Amino acid sequence: MLEQILALLPQVIFDGFILGFVYAMVALGYTMVYGVLELINFAHSEIFMIGAVVGVEVFRYLAPQVESGFLLLLLALILGGVVAGITAILVERFAYRPLRARGTTNRLVPLITAIGVSFILQDLVRLIEGLWHNEFFLRMRTVEDLEGSVSLFGGAIFAQTKSFILMGVSILMLVGLTYLVNRTKLGVAIRAVAQDLHTASLMGIDPDRIISRTFLIGGSLGGVAGVLFALQYTTITPYVGFLPGIKAFTAAVLGGIGNIPGAMLGGLVLGQLENFFGTYLPILTNGNFGTEYKDVVAFLILIFILLVRPQGLLGQVVKEKV
Amino acid sequence: MKALEVTQATKRFGGLVAVNDVSLSVNQGEIFSVIGPNGAGKTTFFNLLTGIYPPDEGRILLFGKDVTGLPPDRIAKEGVGRTFQNIRLFGAMTVLENLLVGMHIHIHVPYFHAVFRTPLARREEKRAEEEAKRLLEYVSLLHRKDELAKNLPYGEQRKLEIARALALKPRLLLLDEPAAGMNPKETEELQAFIQKLRDELGITIVLIEHDMRLVMRISDRIAVLEYGSKIAEGSPEEVRTNPRVIEAYLGKGAAGGAA
Repeated sequence: MLEQILALLPQVIFDGFILGFVYAMVALGYTMVYGVLELINFAHSEIFMIGAVVGVEVFRYLAPQVESGFLLLLLALILGGVVAGITAILVERFAYRPLRARGTTNRLVPLITAIGVSFILQDLVRLIEGLWHNEFFLRMRTVEDLEGSVSLFGGAIFAQTKSFILMGVSILMLVGLTYLVNRTKLGVAIRAVAQDLHTASLMGIDPDRIISRTFLIGGSLGGVAGVLFALQYTTITPYVGFLPGIKAFTAAVLGGIGNIPGAMLGGLVLGQLENFFGTYLPILTNGNFGTEYKDVVAFLILIFILLVRPQGLLGQVVKEKV
Repeated sequence: MKALEVTQATKRFGGLVAVNDVSLSVNQGEIFSVIGPNGAGKTTFFNLLTGIYPPDEGRILLFGKDVTGLPPDRIAKEGVGRTFQNIRLFGAMTVLENLLVGMHIHIHVPYFHAVFRTPLARREEKRAEEEAKRLLEYVSLLHRKDELAKNLPYGEQRKLEIARALALKPRLLLLDEPAAGMNPKETEELQAFIQKLRDELGITIVLIEHDMRLVMRISDRIAVLEYGSKIAEGSPEEVRTNPRVIEAYLGKGAAGGAA
């Protein structure tokens, strides 16, 4: 049995990274918004879904025109990121900001609003796709350039071109975001607002503006992740955001909600756990527990980690302000 | 033109009148103190000036411009810097980054340049960093620039908070109990520093302070608040000898000591 496990291990880790990077990118949207607003923006799952749908549509309509699959993907990533980012800004502007302006102090109110926005976006996409194509069950068109595959390490890893692209793009986005947050004026302002919104505003920082930018950045990352997800897993519906979204949220909590490197780490850890048990559960239990139990085991481990470290892997214990 | 002109400002919290019909004006280049017993409404008064909450009644003019009801970021842009009674630094950020937050409105990176990280954007951010370092040198904190603000000792945190307020290039600086927790020697240094800010940088200064020796020595004029109302205003000498102030605030022992 050990031999069997070891033989599969490189592939399992590789696939775990694919899933993990998607979770990491989506988790960033949750964690950044939580950082500035202390709001769990459940509508972020739908921002991710919108990115995926835009990806499918770009492939559907532009694949015949654009010869290079790489160029096509680039267009899809840009458009998916932009549409998702703008949607996120609009959600903030019309759903959350009015609540802030009224000085709503009950945290449950924006949370319920987020859930409501989530449903609205799902059904809006269903409506649009329904009117447009008479169906909302979408399939990502496959493009030859991106489907090519190679064997690495003497067949230990079987990998497709698109998987490498997914990881490459994710790493670029994560590095870019880290740079933005740590080294630029906007990044410094976002961190300042996240730490102390009132004091930041006394420094001449307009909190609404920074919050809006945060939604833009988180939304774009989610949208790009959605396009990559569609490319990798190909079947997309208006409800496809729910599971990856809830897992990405879990990843953000696992890493320490509000903590940006934590969200990346949390995403990767969760991706690895899920994929690990997806592959090995049947082997380890002699087939008594199938792959479908992977989430159960992965989440049991998460519960255990959070029992030991409630603040998350990289989170800090927050002292209550007096 | 006055640096600050407050006309009949009132702020209520439920049944409590925290600031009651207060009018006062501060001349440009003045060092002006606001004193009063605990709970007299001094910090609330600062919060009105900086837009944390709008006054329920009354008007606030900054350098001739009506800023009543503007949000804090707009008032900050008019050139109002402030420090806090309980230090409010960005603890999880470095000393240098705290200053960069303070300089926010003076760092200009146009959209296009910000998105594509052009040389112009980098130059501008580099320039801001150099300026922040100069300011840190001015308050002798340059050697601490990469440390997290929360790890600084108390006295240096106070200094850093003033430096951060200065990064805004304020025309009016509001200091909320700057000498709190300082020993006499540190207080003396602080006094020299505040006077330097006024004399060298031409900044008008309003401070809330409990240390009467400092207040009497540094202030051009003083206003006294009690239960949210202004009960006296004038030169240190006038305030010191005002019977209402002695009764309300200084008490018998302190009055004897000051005489």
